[in-house]
Amino acid sequence: MVTELEKIVDEKRIVKSGDEDPFGNLGKCTVYPQTEEEISAILTYASKNGRKVFVEGSGTKKGFGGLLEKADILLSLSHCKGVVEYSAGDLTITVRPGTTIKEIGEYLAPFGQCLSVDPAWPEFATIGGVIAANSSGPKRLKYGSARDFVIGLRVVYPDGKVIRTGGKVVKNVAGYDMNKLFVGSMGTLGVISEVTVKLRPLPKYESLVLLSFSEKNLHEIRSFVIQLLDSMMEPVSLELVNPTLSNQLTGLEGYTLFIGLEGIEKSVLYQEMWIKEHQPKETELIILQQHEAKKIWSTFAKLAPNPLRIKEIDESNLEIGIKIGSKNIDVIELVEACHLMSLNKHVDVRVHGGIGHGITKAYVKGNTEAVLSYVRDIRSAGCNKGGYAIVEHAPYILRKHVNVWGDPPSYFSLLEGIKKAIDPNNVLNTQRFVGGL
Amino acid sequence: MFRKKRKVQGDETILSLARIVGDDYILYRKEDLIAYECDGLTLYKGMPKAVVFPKTTEEVSQIVNYLSNCNIPFIARGAGTGLSGGAIPFGGEVIISLVRMKKLLRIDYENRQAVIQPGFVNLKLTNSIAHKGYYYAPDPSSQYACTIGGNVAENAGGAHCLKYGVTTNHVLGLEVVLPNGDIVEIGEEGIADRPGYDLLGLLTGSEGTMGIVTKITVRILKNPEGKKTVLAYFDRIEDASYAVSDIISVGIVPAALEMMDKTAIEGVEAANFPVGHPKDLAALLLIEVDGITVGIEDEINEIVEVCRRRNVREVKVAKDEAERAKWWANRKTGFGAMGAISPDYLVQDGVIPRTKLPEVLAKINDISKKSGLRIANIFHAGDGNLHPLILFDAKKEGETERALAAGSECLRACAESGGSITGEHGVGIEKKEEMRFIFTDDEIEAQTNIRSVFNPHNLLNPGKIFPSPSRCAEIKQEIITNREPVIN
Ligand SMILES: Cc1cc2nc3c(=O)[nH]c(=O)nc-3n(C[C@@H](O)[C@H](O)[C@H](O)COP(=O)(O)OP(=O)(O)OC[C@H]3O[C@@H](n4cnc5c(N)ncnc54)[C@H](O)[C@@H]3O)c2cc1C
Ligand SMILES: Cc1cc2nc3c(=O)[nH]c(=O)nc-3n(C[C@H](O)[C@H](O)[C@H](O)COP(=O)(O)OP(=O)(O)OC[C@H]3O[C@@H](n4cnc5c(N)ncnc54)[C@H](O)[C@@H]3O)c2cc1C
Repeated sequence: MVTELEKIVDEKRIVKSGDEDPFGNLGKCTVYPQTEEEISAILTYASKNGRKVFVEGSGTKKGFGGLLEKADILLSLSHCKGVVEYSAGDLTITVRPGTTIKEIGEYLAPFGQCLSVDPAWPEFATIGGVIAANSSGPKRLKYGSARDFVIGLRVVYPDGKVIRTGGKVVKNVAGYDMNKLFVGSMGTLGVISEVTVKLRPLPKYESLVLLSFSEKNLHEIRSFVIQLLDSMMEPVSLELVNPTLSNQLTGLEGYTLFIGLEGIEKSVLYQEMWIKEHQPKETELIILQQHEAKKIWSTFAKLAPNPLRIKEIDESNLEIGIKIGSKNIDVIELVEACHLMSLNKHVDVRVHGGIGHGITKAYVKGNTEAVLSYVRDIRSAGCNKGGYAIVEHAPYILRKHVNVWGDPPSYFSLLEGIKKAIDPNNVLNTQRFVGGL
Repeated sequence: MFRKKRKVQGDETILSLARIVGDDYILYRKEDLIAYECDGLTLYKGMPKAVVFPKTTEEVSQIVNYLSNCNIPFIARGAGTGLSGGAIPFGGEVIISLVRMKKLLRIDYENRQAVIQPGFVNLKLTNSIAHKGYYYAPDPSSQYACTIGGNVAENAGGAHCLKYGVTTNHVLGLEVVLPNGDIVEIGEEGIADRPGYDLLGLLTGSEGTMGIVTKITVRILKNPEGKKTVLAYFDRIEDASYAVSDIISVGIVPAALEMMDKTAIEGVEAANFPVGHPKDLAALLLIEVDGITVGIEDEINEIVEVCRRRNVREVKVAKDEAERAKWWANRKTGFGAMGAISPDYLVQDGVIPRTKLPEVLAKINDISKKSGLRIANIFHAGDGNLHPLILFDAKKEGETERALAAGSECLRACAESGGSITGEHGVGIEKKEEMRFIFTDDEIEAQTNIRSVFNPHNLLNPGKIFPSPSRCAEIKQEIITNREPVIN
């Protein structure tokens, strides 16, 4: 196989590793293509010869799904990087998939523009991976998520064919919105070889208002948030953080709201005033401006356990990441439930949930037993609210014992149909996704 | 529903359908069907077999189940305002009209959601929640008539989509009847990111070819604190065009950024909502900024400054809501206004990177000269979504064909500039062939393969979106080839 691959890419870009990794999602060898032609040639080879391929950006989500430890080929996009086309007046950029979020941010900053996403580990996370895993951060409230900012993709299909979806313009309804198929598809349908996204102007000013509520005072959070959401306020984040995480990030005890404000300085200051005027009793309020705010957000982006930094798993003290989806306001109760459950389960839990977009993340540390039982309970808490819980990060051995994606949806046959239509031979990321897709 | 009780008489299909919806809710006589021969695109016409008006999701499901078992093609229809012919039959289809399913089912202000039936009219949603200070963002100019079901099918846009996004960015959940009659619920309770491929995103904008939408959960938004509207008059169309990308480049994303050229201005001023724009203008921009009031002032000043640098003749801010409303009525009735200066007009809908505005507008001008037909441009400049309106007289020999050809040429110019052939009106029947301007055969096949997952026998809205087959596999799929559209 390696000899065949060497005909496609330079031998320096093939690593014949038999490396072990506690997170799985490995390959008998890792290939680092630099161009779309190489990606296409590799997939053509793989599909013709019945080889299985796993895809990765930089591997920050190695612990996210996947029931097989190893494929024949691990296709890494981390060498396929760079800006292809940028036009400030169009507020769009086209980049290769392995470009990291941080690199794109640095490229755009001099033009006063930025990406519309704030994912974890921007210095590692690749744009291709962020799109394939549909990652988003606290600022999703204002920014939206990958499905909102991706306007065009080039995708290499499992048989090597290159398909363009969408285009390079911000508004486009020609044919089906095929972009949506690949956002969040976890690399099970095609390899993204080029990405065009909508940008946003870099905010001229930003601040972060921390509003901390005592643990006895939880109903106050709800009434404050409802009042805020019903006002003229335009926060970019409304993230509720549990006492453990609040303490770690800010030193504040209790449940803390992270209210992000961005825009023209005047309007940011005006919104700060609103919060001060409506500050509920017995709460603590801290306002962090500009780089102080940025500093907190960049620590925030490093909360998720990063497989690139974990080489060994200690079964008596391991960490997993859970994503819970619910209605916006239910986030308050779920964050509380996540916290309270940690107290009697003997696990250490850091939780944050976005009121206003309904995504809650919990990072749970403890022994295998306790962690598994925690996932079960959180999942039923989420489901009781009509939502769902998925395990976004877990070591390979654990993934066999938790149903990472939860039960498949009632319309699973449609998902299967899509997978079959695009990847009938199961070449790509087999068993990485919901229901074993 | 439209006549006094009269027993339905007809073939087995008609009788069976009548049993599902009731005798009052089916049309099948030729004279009753004429209104359903076309939608907002009147250049193509086809006679449906019948029109049924179900009241519930279960009825839709039964109808679809019956028709698919009999191998009879069918089409969903909302208000019929579509401009690309998506709801036009080729002949013999059963039209399933959703207009009786028009309830507002639930509003949940805390979670910022509204649940509606597909026949609910777009503008009524904003009207129903305005008293609480909320609104529904996608605002097609046809919003007083078009249904939200139709908006979902077309992924409709509007003037205020520059800042707030189009329909797909606001749809949180859908209940859909699949072409085999199965009812599925996607994005239950409007909760984001449910595990699985993004069917919500895929169905939105699928032009009624994957499923019939029977319930929709949408996001509603809180009104911005403040709003300011600016009107800027230019003597050179290039200056207005450059001003558009300059505004974006200085870091302002206006809520709306609309443009009209000389011919368009002549039209709107001759119609029902004149503003009194000077007659000798080359172009005007209508710009709206919204958000926190204290910030808006600065943005308006910056916009005025940008316009000045681009040699604006006059730039003014609306002094009150009445003036703002007047400017918008003038803009939003712009298509219809062409009726005041031309017997017929054809609306086109290309998209270009906004920095290419000057060169593409120049090309459209050439197309106009070559075809001998006037073309008015009235469009969403902020997102580069052009609406060339080709003015013609159908009574004059050959003008219709020339108008269609000119429209197609405009789309080619958009495609060549790196853009797209449609930004919000959809492909429908009208732009099928133009799909080839932007997609390869493989790319078209990739899309029809996905259609087959949902609509394997191609009974739901057949013959739409994709160009006539160029390969055998597709030909087998395409039903009844003699149903080519007629031009009259
Ligand atoms: C526990 C945990 C929690 C996290 N939580 C968050 C969070 O709350 N918010 C957030 O925004 N981010 C979060 N992230 C990180 C996230 O931003 C990832 O870093 C990013 O989404 C993936 O980037 P990557 O390049 O490392 O992807 P990888 O881990 O390499 O890949 C992710 C997935 O995408 C596929 N993929 C990668 N590239 C391509 C491509 N070009 N074409 C097709 N498929 C491809 C892979 O096969 C894989 O299925 C979290 C990460 C971890 C480990
Ligand atoms: C004067 C005028 C101005 C316009 N301005 C705009 C504008 O600014 N922006 C814009 O985007 N559009 C605009 N349009 C186009 C049109 O109004 C939109 O496309 C609208 O979304 C169509 O809605 P409808 O209810 O009339 O749908 P119809 O015309 O009845 O149907 C359109 C398509 O949707 C399908 N469909 C309808 N209902 C359903 C359903 N429940 N489930 C599945 N499929 C369904 C039909 O099969 C058809 O393919 C304008 C039209 C006119 C006449």
